[in-house]
Amino acid sequence: MINILDDYALVSPLRYRNNWLKIAIVMFGILVGVSSQSFIPPFAIALCMSFATVHFGKTSFKFYLKILSAPAVFVLLSVVIIAFFFGSGTELFGFDIFSYHLGVNTGGLEMALLVFSRTLSGMSCLFFLALTTPMVELFSVLKATKLPDSFIEISMMMYRYIFVFLEVAWGIKYAQTVRLGYKDWRTSLNSLAMLSTTLFIRSWEQGEKIFISMSARCYDGKLIFFEEKRPIRANELVLTCTYFAAVLALWYLTRIHSIF
Amino acid sequence: MHIFEGFLPSPWWQLWFVFSIPVLFFGMHRLNKLVSEKRELLPLLAVAGAFIFVLSSLKMPSVTGSSSHPTGTGMAAILFGPAIAAVLSTIVLLYQSIFLAHGGLTTLGANVASMGIIGPVFAYVIYKAGMKANINFYVVVFLATAFADWATYVVTATQLALAFPAEVGGVAASLKAFLLVFATTQVPLAIMEGALTALIFKYVIQVKSDALVELNVITESVLNKIKGASQ
Repeated sequence: MINILDDYALVSPLRYRNNWLKIAIVMFGILVGVSSQSFIPPFAIALCMSFATVHFGKTSFKFYLKILSAPAVFVLLSVVIIAFFFGSGTELFGFDIFSYHLGVNTGGLEMALLVFSRTLSGMSCLFFLALTTPMVELFSVLKATKLPDSFIEISMMMYRYIFVFLEVAWGIKYAQTVRLGYKDWRTSLNSLAMLSTTLFIRSWEQGEKIFISMSARCYDGKLIFFEEKRPIRANELVLTCTYFAAVLALWYLTRIHSIF
Repeated sequence: MHIFEGFLPSPWWQLWFVFSIPVLFFGMHRLNKLVSEKRELLPLLAVAGAFIFVLSSLKMPSVTGSSSHPTGTGMAAILFGPAIAAVLSTIVLLYQSIFLAHGGLTTLGANVASMGIIGPVFAYVIYKAGMKANINFYVVVFLATAFADWATYVVTATQLALAFPAEVGGVAASLKAFLLVFATTQVPLAIMEGALTALIFKYVIQVKSDALVELNVITESVLNKIKGASQ
Protein backbone atom coordinates (compact mmCIF):
# COMPACT_ATOMS: atom_id res chain seq x y z
CA MET A 1 0.00 0.00 0.00
CA ILE A 2 2.61 2.53 1.02
CA ASN A 3 6.35 2.43 1.39
CA ILE A 4 7.49 3.21 4.89
CA LEU A 5 11.06 4.26 4.25
CA ASP A 6 11.93 3.64 7.89
CA ASP A 7 11.90 -0.13 7.24
CA TYR A 8 14.73 0.30 4.76
CA ALA A 9 16.65 2.59 7.10
CA LEU A 10 16.69 -0.06 9.81
CA VAL A 11 18.67 -2.48 7.62
CA SER A 12 20.94 0.11 6.03
CA PRO A 13 24.65 -0.20 6.84
CA LEU A 14 24.86 3.60 7.15
CA ARG A 15 22.55 3.37 10.14
CA TYR A 16 25.58 2.85 12.38
CA ARG A 17 27.28 6.10 11.37
CA ASN A 18 27.16 9.32 13.34
CA ASN A 19 23.72 10.95 13.19
CA TRP A 20 24.96 14.51 13.37
CA LEU A 21 27.28 13.97 10.43
CA LYS A 22 24.42 12.63 8.32
CA ILE A 23 22.18 15.52 9.31
CA ALA A 24 24.93 18.00 8.49
CA ILE A 25 25.34 16.44 5.02
CA VAL A 26 21.60 16.56 4.39
CA MET A 27 21.10 20.12 5.63
CA PHE A 28 24.10 21.27 3.61
CA GLY A 29 22.70 19.70 0.44
CA ILE A 30 19.23 21.12 0.99
CA LEU A 31 20.43 24.65 1.73
CA VAL A 32 22.97 24.84 -1.11
CA GLY A 33 20.42 23.35 -3.51
CA VAL A 34 17.74 25.84 -2.57
CA SER A 35 20.03 28.87 -2.71
CA SER A 36 21.69 27.91 -5.98
CA GLN A 37 21.20 30.21 -8.97
CA SER A 38 22.04 27.61 -11.59
CA PHE A 39 20.69 24.13 -12.16
CA ILE A 40 24.16 22.53 -12.12
CA PRO A 41 24.93 22.40 -8.36
CA PRO A 42 21.51 20.91 -7.49
CA PHE A 43 21.96 18.20 -10.12
CA ALA A 44 25.44 17.49 -8.78
CA ILE A 45 24.06 17.23 -5.23
CA ALA A 46 21.27 14.95 -6.42
CA LEU A 47 23.79 12.71 -8.18
CA CYS A 48 26.11 12.50 -5.14
CA MET A 49 23.33 11.86 -2.65
CA SER A 50 21.72 9.23 -4.88
CA PHE A 51 25.08 7.53 -5.27
CA ALA A 52 25.63 7.60 -1.51
CA THR A 53 22.16 6.19 -0.85
CA VAL A 54 22.39 3.41 -3.42
CA HIS A 55 26.08 2.51 -3.09
CA PHE A 56 26.93 3.15 0.59
CA GLY A 57 23.41 2.70 1.91
CA LYS A 58 22.79 -0.49 -0.15
CA THR A 59 19.33 0.57 -1.29
CA SER A 60 18.01 -1.25 -4.34
CA PHE A 61 18.37 1.04 -7.35
CA LYS A 62 14.99 0.05 -8.79
CA PHE A 63 13.25 0.85 -5.53
CA TYR A 64 15.11 4.16 -5.32
CA LEU A 65 13.89 5.19 -8.78
CA LYS A 66 10.35 4.21 -7.81
CA ILE A 67 10.23 6.41 -4.71
CA LEU A 68 11.93 9.24 -6.57
CA SER A 69 8.93 9.35 -8.90
CA ALA A 70 6.56 9.96 -5.95
CA PRO A 71 6.59 13.76 -6.18
CA ALA A 72 6.60 13.60 -9.99
CA VAL A 73 2.95 14.60 -10.59
CA PHE A 74 3.06 17.66 -8.38
CA VAL A 75 6.45 18.78 -9.61
CA LEU A 76 5.76 18.30 -13.32
CA LEU A 77 2.42 20.16 -13.18
CA SER A 78 3.94 23.07 -11.29
CA VAL A 79 7.06 23.20 -13.42
CA VAL A 80 4.96 23.37 -16.60
CA ILE A 81 3.02 26.31 -15.16
CA ILE A 82 6.25 28.09 -14.27
CA ALA A 83 7.64 27.48 -17.75
CA PHE A 84 4.58 29.07 -19.36
CA PHE A 85 4.01 32.00 -17.04
CA PHE A 86 7.40 32.98 -15.78
CA GLY A 87 10.30 34.93 -17.18
CA SER A 88 11.10 36.89 -20.28
CA GLY A 89 13.35 36.52 -23.29
CA THR A 90 12.92 35.15 -26.75
CA GLU A 91 9.98 32.85 -27.18
CA LEU A 92 10.92 29.24 -27.90
CA PHE A 93 7.49 27.92 -28.81
CA GLY A 94 3.87 28.85 -28.19
CA PHE A 95 0.29 28.25 -29.25
CA ASP A 96 -3.13 29.92 -29.06
CA ILE A 97 -5.88 28.53 -26.92
CA PHE A 98 -9.31 30.22 -26.57
CA SER A 99 -7.81 33.45 -27.93
CA TYR A 100 -5.14 33.32 -25.22
CA HIS A 101 -1.58 33.12 -26.30
CA LEU A 102 0.56 30.70 -24.32
CA GLY A 103 4.24 30.55 -24.92
CA VAL A 104 7.44 29.32 -23.33
CA ASN A 105 10.38 31.71 -23.37
CA THR A 106 13.99 31.25 -22.38
CA GLY A 107 13.58 32.84 -18.93
CA GLY A 108 10.63 30.63 -18.09
CA LEU A 109 12.32 27.47 -19.28
CA GLU A 110 15.44 28.28 -17.29
CA MET A 111 13.38 28.92 -14.16
CA ALA A 112 11.45 25.69 -14.65
CA LEU A 113 14.66 23.73 -15.06
CA LEU A 114 16.12 25.37 -11.94
CA VAL A 115 13.06 24.60 -9.83
CA PHE A 116 13.01 21.03 -11.12
CA SER A 117 16.68 20.53 -10.26
CA ARG A 118 16.23 22.07 -6.80
CA THR A 119 13.34 19.75 -6.03
CA LEU A 120 15.32 16.77 -7.30
CA SER A 121 18.32 17.65 -5.12
CA GLY A 122 16.13 18.34 -2.09
CA MET A 123 14.27 15.05 -2.50
CA SER A 124 17.48 13.05 -2.91
CA CYS A 125 18.87 14.62 0.29
CA LEU A 126 15.67 13.75 2.14
CA PHE A 127 15.78 10.20 0.79
CA PHE A 128 19.36 9.87 1.98
CA LEU A 129 18.23 10.77 5.50
CA ALA A 130 15.08 8.67 5.29
CA LEU A 131 16.76 5.56 3.90
CA THR A 132 19.82 5.55 6.16
CA THR A 133 18.63 6.95 9.49
CA PRO A 134 15.78 5.28 11.37
CA MET A 135 13.53 7.60 13.36
CA VAL A 136 14.72 5.94 16.59
CA GLU A 137 18.14 7.45 15.96
CA LEU A 138 16.72 10.87 15.18
CA PHE A 139 15.00 11.06 18.55
CA SER A 140 18.31 11.62 20.28
CA VAL A 141 18.87 14.55 17.92
CA LEU A 142 15.37 15.82 18.65
CA LYS A 143 16.07 15.61 22.37
CA ALA A 144 19.16 17.75 22.01
CA THR A 145 16.99 20.57 20.66
CA LYS A 146 15.28 22.82 23.13
CA LEU A 147 11.74 21.85 22.11
CA PRO A 148 9.22 21.32 24.92
CA ASP A 149 9.15 17.85 26.46
CA SER A 150 5.50 17.23 25.73
CA PHE A 151 6.11 17.81 22.02
CA ILE A 152 8.96 15.29 21.93
CA GLU A 153 7.04 12.79 24.06
CA ILE A 154 4.08 12.97 21.72
CA SER A 155 6.31 12.53 18.66
CA MET A 156 7.99 9.46 20.14
CA MET A 157 4.78 7.81 21.22
CA MET A 158 3.16 8.67 17.94
CA TYR A 159 6.01 7.03 16.06
CA ARG A 160 5.48 3.78 17.93
CA TYR A 161 1.76 3.76 17.35
CA ILE A 162 1.99 4.50 13.65
CA PHE A 163 3.21 0.96 13.07
CA VAL A 164 0.59 -0.61 15.31
CA PHE A 165 -2.21 1.17 13.48
CA LEU A 166 -0.74 0.58 10.05
CA GLU A 167 -0.82 -3.12 10.71
CA VAL A 168 -4.44 -2.92 11.85
CA ALA A 169 -5.34 -0.83 8.81
CA TRP A 170 -3.64 -3.23 6.40
CA GLY A 171 -5.37 -6.21 7.98
CA ILE A 172 -8.80 -4.63 7.77
CA LYS A 173 -8.23 -3.34 4.27
CA TYR A 174 -7.18 -6.78 3.08
CA ALA A 175 -10.22 -8.37 4.67
CA GLN A 176 -12.47 -5.76 3.09
CA THR A 177 -10.88 -6.16 -0.33
CA VAL A 178 -11.33 -9.93 -0.48
CA ARG A 179 -14.99 -9.38 0.42
CA LEU A 180 -15.36 -6.99 -2.55
CA GLY A 181 -15.40 -3.97 -0.26
CA TYR A 182 -13.67 -1.87 -2.89
CA LYS A 183 -15.59 -3.10 -5.94
CA ASP A 184 -16.93 0.32 -6.87
CA TRP A 185 -16.78 3.93 -5.81
CA ARG A 186 -19.73 3.95 -3.40
CA THR A 187 -18.74 0.75 -1.63
CA SER A 188 -15.14 1.86 -1.27
CA LEU A 189 -16.18 5.10 0.37
CA ASN A 190 -18.28 3.21 2.87
CA SER A 191 -15.55 0.62 3.50
CA LEU A 192 -12.96 3.32 4.00
CA ALA A 193 -15.20 5.08 6.51
CA MET A 194 -15.72 1.85 8.43
CA LEU A 195 -11.99 1.20 8.41
CA SER A 196 -11.21 4.69 9.69
CA THR A 197 -13.84 4.45 12.41
CA THR A 198 -12.46 1.17 13.67
CA LEU A 199 -9.03 2.76 13.71
CA PHE A 200 -10.32 5.77 15.61
CA ILE A 201 -12.03 3.64 18.25
CA ARG A 202 -9.02 1.35 18.52
CA SER A 203 -6.72 4.30 18.99
CA TRP A 204 -9.00 5.86 21.60
CA GLU A 205 -9.09 2.66 23.64
CA GLN A 206 -5.38 2.12 23.13
CA GLY A 207 -4.70 5.64 24.41
CA GLU A 208 -6.58 4.92 27.62
CA LYS A 209 -4.76 1.63 28.05
CA ILE A 210 -1.27 3.06 27.57
CA PHE A 211 -1.93 5.74 30.16
CA ILE A 212 -2.88 3.12 32.74
CA SER A 213 0.01 0.82 31.90
CA MET A 214 2.54 3.64 31.81
CA SER A 215 1.34 5.15 35.08
CA ALA A 216 1.66 1.69 36.64
CA ARG A 217 5.32 1.77 35.58
CA CYS A 218 5.93 5.19 37.17
CA TYR A 219 5.75 7.29 33.98
CA ASP A 220 6.33 10.92 34.95
CA GLY A 221 6.21 12.60 31.54
CA LYS A 222 9.61 11.54 30.27
CA LEU A 223 10.59 8.47 28.31
CA ILE A 224 14.29 7.73 28.48
CA PHE A 225 16.12 5.58 25.97
CA PHE A 226 19.59 4.25 25.59
CA GLU A 227 21.71 6.19 23.12
CA GLU A 228 24.76 4.71 21.49
CA LYS A 229 27.84 6.85 20.97
CA ARG A 230 29.10 6.77 17.41
CA PRO A 231 32.23 8.81 16.85
CA ILE A 232 32.88 10.24 13.38
CA ARG A 233 35.65 8.33 11.63
CA ALA A 234 38.53 10.09 9.88
CA ASN A 235 37.74 8.76 6.40
CA GLU A 236 34.10 9.81 6.73
CA LEU A 237 35.16 13.29 7.72
CA VAL A 238 37.58 13.57 4.79
CA LEU A 239 34.97 12.35 2.31
CA THR A 240 32.36 14.75 3.66
CA CYS A 241 34.73 17.72 3.57
CA THR A 242 35.78 16.93 0.01
CA TYR A 243 32.13 16.71 -1.00
CA PHE A 244 31.33 20.03 0.72
CA ALA A 245 34.29 21.74 -0.89
CA ALA A 246 33.46 20.40 -4.37
CA VAL A 247 29.83 21.45 -4.17
CA LEU A 248 30.69 24.88 -2.79
CA ALA A 249 33.23 25.40 -5.59
CA LEU A 250 30.62 24.40 -8.16
CA TRP A 251 28.12 26.72 -6.52
CA TYR A 252 30.60 29.60 -6.62
CA LEU A 253 31.54 29.00 -10.26
CA THR A 254 27.95 28.78 -11.51
CA ARG A 255 26.47 31.66 -9.53
CA ILE A 256 26.03 33.94 -12.57
CA HIS A 257 25.66 31.18 -15.09
CA SER A 258 22.94 31.13 -17.73
CA ILE A 259 22.37 28.49 -20.37
CA PHE A 260 20.93 30.84 -22.99
CA MET B 1 -1.42 19.35 -1.04
CA HIS B 2 2.24 19.14 -0.13
CA ILE B 3 4.87 21.43 -1.56
CA PHE B 4 7.94 19.31 -2.18
CA GLU B 5 11.47 19.88 -0.97
CA GLY B 6 13.42 22.56 -2.80
CA PHE B 7 10.39 23.94 -4.60
CA LEU B 8 10.13 27.30 -2.84
CA PRO B 9 13.01 29.70 -3.55
CA SER B 10 14.98 31.54 -0.92
CA PRO B 11 13.05 34.42 0.61
CA TRP B 12 9.78 32.48 0.59
CA TRP B 13 10.49 29.32 2.53
CA GLN B 14 12.04 31.36 5.36
CA LEU B 15 9.04 33.71 5.39
CA TRP B 16 6.61 30.80 5.81
CA PHE B 17 8.66 29.55 8.73
CA VAL B 18 8.39 33.04 10.25
CA PHE B 19 4.63 32.73 9.89
CA SER B 20 4.34 29.17 11.22
CA ILE B 21 6.75 29.07 14.14
CA PRO B 22 4.94 31.60 16.42
CA VAL B 23 1.62 29.81 15.87
CA LEU B 24 3.33 26.53 16.61
CA PHE B 25 4.79 27.87 19.84
CA PHE B 26 1.37 29.07 20.85
CA GLY B 27 0.04 25.57 20.11
CA MET B 28 2.81 23.96 22.17
CA HIS B 29 2.10 26.36 25.01
CA ARG B 30 -1.57 25.34 24.95
CA LEU B 31 -0.57 21.71 24.74
CA ASN B 32 1.79 21.98 27.73
CA LYS B 33 -0.93 23.60 29.79
CA LEU B 34 -3.49 21.00 28.84
CA VAL B 35 -1.14 18.10 29.49
CA SER B 36 -0.02 19.40 32.88
CA GLU B 37 -3.66 19.69 33.91
CA LYS B 38 -4.77 16.33 32.53
CA ARG B 39 -1.87 13.93 32.26
CA GLU B 40 -3.97 11.19 30.65
CA LEU B 41 -4.30 13.36 27.54
CA LEU B 42 -0.70 12.93 26.42
CA PRO B 43 -0.94 9.30 25.25
CA LEU B 44 -4.34 10.07 23.79
CA LEU B 45 -2.94 12.92 21.70
CA ALA B 46 -0.08 10.70 20.59
CA VAL B 47 -2.40 7.97 19.34
CA ALA B 48 -4.60 10.63 17.73
CA GLY B 49 -1.54 11.85 15.83
CA ALA B 50 -0.73 8.29 14.76
CA PHE B 51 -4.35 7.93 13.64
CA ILE B 52 -4.07 11.07 11.49
CA PHE B 53 -0.86 9.77 9.95
CA VAL B 54 -2.38 6.40 9.08
CA LEU B 55 -5.56 8.06 7.79
CA SER B 56 -3.52 10.32 5.55
CA SER B 57 -1.65 7.35 4.11
CA LEU B 58 -4.83 5.55 2.99
CA LYS B 59 -5.73 5.94 -0.66
CA MET B 60 -9.15 7.42 -1.27
CA PRO B 61 -11.30 6.31 -4.18
CA SER B 62 -10.81 9.12 -6.62
CA VAL B 63 -12.98 10.43 -9.45
CA THR B 64 -10.24 11.83 -11.64
CA GLY B 65 -8.02 8.77 -11.41
CA SER B 66 -5.14 10.44 -9.65
CA SER B 67 -4.30 8.98 -6.27
CA SER B 68 -5.53 11.17 -3.49
CA HIS B 69 -5.14 10.92 0.25
CA PRO B 70 -7.24 12.48 2.98
CA THR B 71 -5.39 15.11 5.01
CA GLY B 72 -7.14 14.35 8.29
CA THR B 73 -6.29 17.78 9.65
CA GLY B 74 -9.87 19.01 9.43
CA MET B 75 -10.93 16.11 11.61
CA ALA B 76 -8.14 16.84 14.09
CA ALA B 77 -9.30 20.46 14.33
CA ILE B 78 -12.89 19.39 15.06
CA LEU B 79 -11.70 16.93 17.72
CA PHE B 80 -8.98 18.91 19.48
CA GLY B 81 -9.26 22.53 18.37
CA PRO B 82 -6.95 24.37 15.97
CA ALA B 83 -4.02 25.07 18.33
CA ILE B 84 -3.40 21.41 19.14
CA ALA B 85 -4.27 20.35 15.60
CA ALA B 86 -1.43 22.59 14.43
CA VAL B 87 1.09 20.82 16.67
CA LEU B 88 -0.16 17.35 15.73
CA SER B 89 -0.13 18.13 12.01
CA THR B 90 3.40 19.47 12.26
CA ILE B 91 4.60 16.16 13.64
CA VAL B 92 2.56 14.31 11.02
CA LEU B 93 4.03 16.46 8.24
CA LEU B 94 7.54 15.85 9.54
CA TYR B 95 6.94 12.10 9.54
CA GLN B 96 5.36 12.24 6.11
CA SER B 97 8.41 13.94 4.68
CA ILE B 98 10.75 11.41 6.28
CA PHE B 99 8.70 8.19 5.93
CA LEU B 100 6.69 8.68 2.78
CA ALA B 101 8.73 11.31 0.95
CA HIS B 102 5.73 13.67 0.88
CA GLY B 103 6.71 17.28 1.47
CA GLY B 104 10.08 18.46 2.65
CA LEU B 105 12.13 20.16 5.33
CA THR B 106 12.65 23.66 3.89
CA THR B 107 9.03 23.68 2.71
CA LEU B 108 7.82 22.44 6.11
CA GLY B 109 7.02 26.01 7.17
CA ALA B 110 4.83 26.57 4.12
CA ASN B 111 3.17 23.18 4.46
CA VAL B 112 2.46 23.71 8.15
CA ALA B 113 0.97 27.11 7.33
CA SER B 114 -1.43 25.70 4.74
CA MET B 115 -2.26 22.26 6.13
CA GLY B 116 -1.60 22.63 9.82
CA ILE B 117 -2.75 26.15 10.57
CA ILE B 118 -5.06 27.78 8.02
CA GLY B 119 -6.97 24.62 7.04
CA PRO B 120 -7.74 23.57 10.64
CA VAL B 121 -8.70 27.15 11.61
CA PHE B 122 -11.24 27.15 8.76
CA ALA B 123 -12.57 23.75 9.83
CA TYR B 124 -12.92 24.86 13.43
CA VAL B 125 -14.61 28.18 12.68
CA ILE B 126 -17.09 26.59 10.26
CA TYR B 127 -17.77 23.76 12.70
CA LYS B 128 -18.44 26.10 15.63
CA ALA B 129 -20.56 28.47 13.54
CA GLY B 130 -22.54 25.60 12.04
CA MET B 131 -23.24 24.01 15.41
CA LYS B 132 -24.37 27.35 16.79
CA ALA B 133 -26.70 27.84 13.82
CA ASN B 134 -28.26 24.44 14.60
CA ILE B 135 -27.54 22.89 11.23
CA ASN B 136 -27.48 19.08 10.99
CA PHE B 137 -24.31 17.74 12.63
CA TYR B 138 -23.17 15.66 9.64
CA VAL B 139 -23.70 18.52 7.20
CA VAL B 140 -21.58 20.74 9.43
CA VAL B 141 -18.80 18.13 9.60
CA PHE B 142 -18.91 17.72 5.83
CA LEU B 143 -18.74 21.49 5.22
CA ALA B 144 -16.00 22.03 7.80
CA THR B 145 -13.71 19.33 6.37
CA ALA B 146 -14.38 20.21 2.74
CA PHE B 147 -13.76 23.92 3.30
CA ALA B 148 -10.63 23.14 5.32
CA ASP B 149 -9.29 21.25 2.30
CA TRP B 150 -10.23 24.04 -0.08
CA ALA B 151 -8.63 26.64 2.18
CA THR B 152 -5.47 24.51 2.23
CA TYR B 153 -5.51 24.27 -1.55
CA VAL B 154 -6.03 28.02 -2.07
CA VAL B 155 -3.23 28.82 0.39
CA THR B 156 -0.84 26.39 -1.33
CA ALA B 157 -1.65 27.90 -4.73
CA THR B 158 -1.06 31.37 -3.25
CA GLN B 159 2.27 30.27 -1.81
CA LEU B 160 3.35 28.99 -5.22
CA ALA B 161 2.04 32.09 -7.01
CA LEU B 162 3.83 34.46 -4.62
CA ALA B 163 7.08 32.61 -5.14
CA PHE B 164 6.65 32.43 -8.93
CA PRO B 165 4.75 35.49 -10.18
CA ALA B 166 3.92 35.53 -13.89
CA GLU B 167 5.75 37.96 -16.15
CA VAL B 168 2.45 39.27 -17.52
CA GLY B 169 -0.16 39.89 -14.84
CA GLY B 170 2.08 39.14 -11.86
CA VAL B 171 0.92 37.15 -8.85
CA ALA B 172 -2.76 37.22 -9.85
CA ALA B 173 -2.14 35.58 -13.23
CA SER B 174 0.01 32.78 -11.88
CA LEU B 175 -2.39 32.27 -8.96
CA LYS B 176 -5.15 31.71 -11.51
CA ALA B 177 -2.98 29.19 -13.35
CA PHE B 178 -2.03 27.25 -10.22
CA LEU B 179 -5.62 27.24 -8.97
CA LEU B 180 -6.94 25.98 -12.31
CA VAL B 181 -4.41 23.19 -12.73
CA PHE B 182 -4.68 21.84 -9.20
CA ALA B 183 -8.48 22.20 -9.12
CA THR B 184 -8.83 18.93 -11.03
CA THR B 185 -7.43 16.97 -8.10
CA GLN B 186 -8.22 19.20 -5.14
CA VAL B 187 -11.90 20.03 -5.69
CA PRO B 188 -13.14 16.41 -5.80
CA LEU B 189 -10.68 15.46 -3.05
CA ALA B 190 -12.20 17.96 -0.64
CA ILE B 191 -15.72 16.69 -1.33
CA MET B 192 -14.56 13.10 -0.85
CA GLU B 193 -12.81 13.88 2.39
CA GLY B 194 -15.83 15.79 3.66
CA ALA B 195 -18.09 12.82 2.90
CA LEU B 196 -15.59 10.40 4.43
CA THR B 197 -15.26 12.40 7.65
CA ALA B 198 -19.03 12.76 7.98
CA LEU B 199 -19.35 8.98 7.57
CA ILE B 200 -16.61 8.37 10.15
CA PHE B 201 -18.45 10.58 12.64
CA LYS B 202 -21.66 8.70 11.89
CA TYR B 203 -20.06 5.38 12.82
CA VAL B 204 -18.24 6.83 15.83
CA ILE B 205 -21.54 8.18 17.19
CA GLN B 206 -23.13 4.77 16.70
CA VAL B 207 -20.35 2.86 18.44
CA LYS B 208 -18.54 5.15 20.86
CA SER B 209 -20.35 8.44 21.28
CA ASP B 210 -19.04 8.99 24.82
CA ALA B 211 -15.58 9.70 23.36
CA LEU B 212 -16.95 12.69 21.47
CA VAL B 213 -18.75 14.05 24.51
CA GLU B 214 -15.59 13.71 26.57
CA LEU B 215 -13.64 15.73 23.99
CA ASN B 216 -16.34 18.44 24.05
CA VAL B 217 -16.95 17.93 20.33
CA ILE B 218 -20.70 17.69 20.83
CA THR B 219 -22.92 18.26 23.81
CA GLU B 220 -25.18 15.63 25.34
CA SER B 221 -28.31 17.32 23.97
CA VAL B 222 -27.03 17.39 20.38
CA LEU B 223 -26.03 13.75 20.70
CA ASN B 224 -29.49 12.75 21.89
CA LYS B 225 -31.02 14.67 19.01
CA ILE B 226 -28.83 12.90 16.42
CA LYS B 227 -29.42 9.52 17.99
CA GLY B 228 -33.15 10.17 18.16
CA ALA B 229 -33.19 11.10 14.50
CA SER B 230 -31.26 8.06 13.38
CA GLN B 231 -33.38 5.51 15.21
